[in-house]
Amino acid sequence: MVGIISYGAYIPIWRISRDEIARAHGSATMGGERSVASFDEDSLTMAVEAGLDCLTGIDPKEVDALFFATVTSPLEEKQASAMIASALDLRRDITTADITGTLRAGTTAVKMAMDMVKAGSAKKVLVTAADSRIAIPSSDLEQIFGDGAAALLIGEDGVIADIEGFSTVINPIPGPWRREVDPFPRRFEAKLDTRYGYLRDLPTAAGMLAKKLNLSPKDISKVAIYGPDPRSILGAANMLGIDPKTQLQDPLFSTVGITGTPHALLLLVAALEQAKPDERILCASQGDGSDAFVVKTTEKVEELKGTRRGTNYIKSKKMLPSYAKFAAFKGVLDTGWPSQLPEMPRSPIVKYWRDEKAILPFYGMKCKKCGNVSYPIGRVCMYCGEKDNYEEVKLARRGKVYTFTHDYLFGPGNIQPGDGINPSTKVSVDLEDGCRVLLELTDHDLKEVDVGMEVELTFRLWHERARFRHYGWKARPVRG
Amino acid sequence: MGRITDRVAIIGTGVTKFGEIWEKDHEDLLVEAVYEACNEANVDLRKDVEAVWVGTFWTFSGVAGDAFADPLKWYGKPITRIENYCATGMDAVRNAAYAVAAGMYDIVIACGVEKILDQGSRGLPDLDKMLLGSEIALNAESAPAMFAMAAIRAFKEWGWTKEDLALVAVKNHYNGARHPKAHFRREITVETALKAPMIAYPLGLFDCCAMSDGAAAVVLTRPEIAKELVGDEYATIKAMGLAVETLHPFYRKDWTGLAFPANVKAAEMAYKEAGITDPRKELDFGIVHDCFTITELINYQDMKLCKPGEGAQLIRDGVTAIDGDFPINPDGGLKCFGHPIGATGVRMIVELTRQVLGRAEGLQVENAQAGFAHNLGGPQAVAMVGIVGRPDWKPGEK
Repeated sequence: MVGIISYGAYIPIWRISRDEIARAHGSATMGGERSVASFDEDSLTMAVEAGLDCLTGIDPKEVDALFFATVTSPLEEKQASAMIASALDLRRDITTADITGTLRAGTTAVKMAMDMVKAGSAKKVLVTAADSRIAIPSSDLEQIFGDGAAALLIGEDGVIADIEGFSTVINPIPGPWRREVDPFPRRFEAKLDTRYGYLRDLPTAAGMLAKKLNLSPKDISKVAIYGPDPRSILGAANMLGIDPKTQLQDPLFSTVGITGTPHALLLLVAALEQAKPDERILCASQGDGSDAFVVKTTEKVEELKGTRRGTNYIKSKKMLPSYAKFAAFKGVLDTGWPSQLPEMPRSPIVKYWRDEKAILPFYGMKCKKCGNVSYPIGRVCMYCGEKDNYEEVKLARRGKVYTFTHDYLFGPGNIQPGDGINPSTKVSVDLEDGCRVLLELTDHDLKEVDVGMEVELTFRLWHERARFRHYGWKARPVRG
Repeated sequence: MGRITDRVAIIGTGVTKFGEIWEKDHEDLLVEAVYEACNEANVDLRKDVEAVWVGTFWTFSGVAGDAFADPLKWYGKPITRIENYCATGMDAVRNAAYAVAAGMYDIVIACGVEKILDQGSRGLPDLDKMLLGSEIALNAESAPAMFAMAAIRAFKEWGWTKEDLALVAVKNHYNGARHPKAHFRREITVETALKAPMIAYPLGLFDCCAMSDGAAAVVLTRPEIAKELVGDEYATIKAMGLAVETLHPFYRKDWTGLAFPANVKAAEMAYKEAGITDPRKELDFGIVHDCFTITELINYQDMKLCKPGEGAQLIRDGVTAIDGDFPINPDGGLKCFGHPIGATGVRMIVELTRQVLGRAEGLQVENAQAGFAHNLGGPQAVAMVGIVGRPDWKPGEK
């Protein structure tokens, strides 16, 4: 049966307490904290991170299709999933698609993946879902939203959970929506959207599925459901007839916030991390209708435990010191990065394209004569001078800082001129394969940086020079 | 390989005031330095000079010999523009000297000029404008950052401190305060240096050289012609070592930060050419590329004035002070002159020449017979070492 082979997740390291957001606006707090994508993160980079987590120990060349579900793609025209596929080092002859327009897109991507596998057009399909939504400052949504990503590998061989059934109902209810010209998602009337949208659609889809599979609430161990806010999720749980105390998967509101498109999948990942064999989990999303599916875990669910970082990312966190920092990260407060970068006389885009393999999947070269691994890829070995005698190798993703500096002549994000108070930290890193590279450090406090510090690579937005979004790898302190 | 030793004489030197010279452009600066050098050499720019090498890094009149031709209105003759990072100026001298030694020309000019301030006063222009966005350049660092990464290693390996770096700044500012052409002519204290704003951790403002404008020029000829023109008032070139390494050292696992490979090779080359085995005993002083204080300390080691790790001890013991055993940067160095890239190396040759002729404008090194000048740029890619001395100076212990 088609099912889930692997799972992964990503939650950015940054959190802000809702008290701090409320304090900034003089409004009421919803309590707890939410995750915040860093200034150099977006849905695309977070999808790469979740994808990496999901593919831990799996050959990326076995993936036959990649879907990227989001309502916050950084690109209106240009396929994010193709770039994600490159960063994940997938094959070139695969199917890719950005699935978007609704918060339901994540589960819809699962349905499409499932159908592809069933139809025999793909053996393994990687579904990534990520969002970094920006709410109107001071609105309730600003506190409700969180940023994150989830990934599932769908296939038939070696599944940890079978997908027993899938149901969908569609409903073009007004909200939420965001036109091309809108910076923030809009609502017509939250109450209407919830009552006639969420609380109607999700139970309907779940009910259709229960009927199809002949299941009753007691057959379900955990319910992993998206909801626009915690109260609505409780409302839906009641309508589904489950016991919120034992059967409802923690909606991660107090620690992460509602992440949007990835949320139902993120909760499913959290449920799978804890599940025993032969347990049923209901996963449901909502957005212009609702998708619901039930998975039943196999013996293999135990094998994956502890091998994925998954929702452990929630525990690995740093608090943003202020609302201002949060607003700058979310782009609500324009700090000039990446919008105000000086234009280049000639664009580096051609180089970005030409050296894709060295930049996106981050390959270096291994000299066949002296055996040294070096970066970037060049015709002649930098260590022994051997010409045209090397193999391209994927570089290690972890290493130790050999030396570093906090460069006040460049701002964070590296390319913009420094202002003397916001430095860009550079680290020269010895990767585990012996290759040394220079990287910008991100997700760090200046004081924690030292020689010998362990770092890992993280996929980030480099800059937006020549009005092109240049992505690549940075280093971050290893997340616990 | 041939040797340049004593085959080329420096008979004229010219140097402008260095500093933030907003009111003058390349033309003013170059004209000033070149005419001063010609006057000193007793040569006529138009009648006697046969060829010119001009060092300038940032283009202002095309990437060509017009950098000299148009300011001086010196047309119809061979002019070569040189650029080689921070060694740009000294490499112009090297190429000019080789042409004289080859017998192609009798009298030539090597000069350098830079209007750094015109490029924007906050630092060097964007590296990625030059490199057209190579994936490595996208991780570009500022020049201070590249040396800061060496300082971190030196602190770790040898226990050097920010105080050691401050001592370099204090020494060079002491010397520069006494040089009329220097950009900065104020003494500073260790405390001032330590309290300065951070530029690239751990380097603060006083660990960095300034951005300055300036120009310098020398007239070169063969020693036999020199005697006719200026009598005994000339110096000879003893050696010229130039080594180019990678622009991207932080991608090499053999980069230690404890020595700059280009330095080591250029120094070895120059010492060998001049016949020097122990520079500390055979030479009288040196001018090193103190773009940053940490660089000066590592340069001591690369220039073989001491063993690796002992650089900081030299500054602590006052060895390199003007009254020390081996004065370094008696002029105040880049710390006080700033670093108009094309001009710097030529200015250093001017300083060496004037020192060995006993007519330094700033502090005079007592009984200076021969010394070295050193550049390191790119920021660690290109190193050049030039040795200049009195015509009768020979290697061997003093």
